[in-house]
Amino acid sequence: MNSNIKIFMINPDKSVTAMDMLLNRLKELTNNKYFQCIQCGTCGGSCPYGAYTPYTPRRMILAIRLGMVEDILNSNAQWLCTACQTCTSRCPSRIQITDGIIPALREKSLLEGKVPEELSTALINIMRYGNPFKESPMKRDGWAKELDFEVPTMMKKKSAEVLLLPECFGAYHRRCKQATKALAKVMKILEVDFAILGREERCTGDHVRLCGEFALFEDLMEKNMKVFSKYEFKYIVTHDAHAFNALKNFYGLNVLHHSQFLHDNLEKLKGMFNELDYTVTYHDSCYLGRKNGIYEEPREVIRSIPGVRFVEFKRNRENALCCGAGGGGIWLDSVMREFVKVRPAEDRVREAKEVGADVIVTGCVLDIPMFEDALKVTGLDGEIVVKDIAELVLEALEGG
Amino acid sequence: MRIGAIVRIVPDLVMGIEIEESEIVPFKYVPNERDEHALEEAVVFKEKTGGTLEVVGIVDDELRDDEAMEEALALAYAKGADSLKKIVLNRRTFDRREVARAIADHFKDYDVVMVGIQSIDSFAGYLGGILSGVLGYSYVGGVVGVDYDGGLIVQKELGGGVVGKFRVKTPAILGVVSAERPITFVPLVKLRQAMKEMKVEEIEVEVPDMGGIEVVRFYEPEKPEITLLEGDVEELADKLVEVFKSLSLV
Repeated sequence: MNSNIKIFMINPDKSVTAMDMLLNRLKELTNNKYFQCIQCGTCGGSCPYGAYTPYTPRRMILAIRLGMVEDILNSNAQWLCTACQTCTSRCPSRIQITDGIIPALREKSLLEGKVPEELSTALINIMRYGNPFKESPMKRDGWAKELDFEVPTMMKKKSAEVLLLPECFGAYHRRCKQATKALAKVMKILEVDFAILGREERCTGDHVRLCGEFALFEDLMEKNMKVFSKYEFKYIVTHDAHAFNALKNFYGLNVLHHSQFLHDNLEKLKGMFNELDYTVTYHDSCYLGRKNGIYEEPREVIRSIPGVRFVEFKRNRENALCCGAGGGGIWLDSVMREFVKVRPAEDRVREAKEVGADVIVTGCVLDIPMFEDALKVTGLDGEIVVKDIAELVLEALEGG
Repeated sequence: MRIGAIVRIVPDLVMGIEIEESEIVPFKYVPNERDEHALEEAVVFKEKTGGTLEVVGIVDDELRDDEAMEEALALAYAKGADSLKKIVLNRRTFDRREVARAIADHFKDYDVVMVGIQSIDSFAGYLGGILSGVLGYSYVGGVVGVDYDGGLIVQKELGGGVVGKFRVKTPAILGVVSAERPITFVPLVKLRQAMKEMKVEEIEVEVPDMGGIEVVRFYEPEKPEITLLEGDVEELADKLVEVFKSLSLV
């Protein structure tokens, strides 16, 4: 395991104050770099919520230096972050804002019992059931049972070339599991030797970590690693960009995002593609693009489908606008609505309309419900559809 | 103000249950959801009044060491309970009259006791009301908020979107349906710490046999037959007409 996140006990010997804990956490997560902020304001200018938040990252760092942490926490600005990594990627002092400052402040809120309601419910469910939906772990492979072929479990098969990991949204969410089924169908067509963990799988915890619940993240990782170690597989494939990030950068496992997997199989796929008649734009998910540098593979896959006209969002690659779901954002809607009138996803689908796309192709399952909701809110439902890249590929394979 | 709160554990319906003729076998237990609300309201009330909060777990002998009860008590401790007790019933019963009589002596030292208005495993009355009857205390159910202005003021849901406010004489038992704030999340590090630090006084009690109810059998009711009609609008309309005809509706 790559994770070295420390679990601080709360004042076990009555010598460590909550403020000491926060400062220790900030030192640990930012390599003590939060002191190096030059107050340039690039972070706030880059933030999708920069115009609305009472504390941009720059102001947060200044307030921490001035000992005004409670002012930040009372303002709820620590929750007004979608963990999109734009500030971090642009920070000239290379300060870990998204993976450091924000989760450290959130951790303090959690320990003080100040947790937004939907997030609180999601975290309770993840701790109790290993998923945020209060669904039974026994039903985690329910999506696979909706297919007309058997998707084997590792429990039964013991080893496979590929371990397919749908993560929580891909396993339970009504719309997201359509993308999971599409990916499984593509794997079947490609005759890939793959299996799933089924009821043994649980949340990989990237949102939990970004929300500052470090002990729960460590606990999930420990339990998941125990399950992974029981079976033999060459690599994991997931269509959840956050799961991809956690497995790659914290679990230290050999993992491919499904856009990479599709790209690796592109020569074989090309021979089977049928023509589609779509104008497609591709949304760079934050945890594929900015966080992990995957930009070209999904574009090459989309471009290789005959008949597809590819157009770029105006804000693309490093400058792509976040869907708003990351870092627990999907459970923080009521907090965000206190500050923000237009969600980033709504801006994003309007941008898709501006560039003339009739399909938004996504690389992270969380994008799908975010954009589909935004299409309804903006009245663009019916003009634009949202498809996971695996859904687009499957459509091309099945003949459109 | 001496505040008491009751927590119980119940079969986890999310994980599922197995139904046998003579018993229902849960895969796992969890803290009773309404009791979690009662605990949250008790914590809020403690904050409002500066009183002391004692949380009492009630569990039968078979489940005395179940991790769900440990979790329920640790959550209470992490949220601010001053002391913890665990009352162990010497035998399992779902008859709340028997439970109320078994535990009543241990609920005489509180001004207010909050308990979840219901739990999914009771089929013979709800504990709060019956316990108040045994003790001769005031009782209000459907509670959604509790205040104190020198006396106890209780908000209760009356249905139809109406909420009533009542002045209630203490000692009182309150059946809480929903706390006035959402159930707060306790981070794992605080939960683990509570599990290490908490001290639980364990009390064993004998459950009186009051009779009157005997289980004949447990079973799942027959599921209604569902026919899914598929097709385009025209086809669906034709199929629906056929269904209505078969039911002599047209």
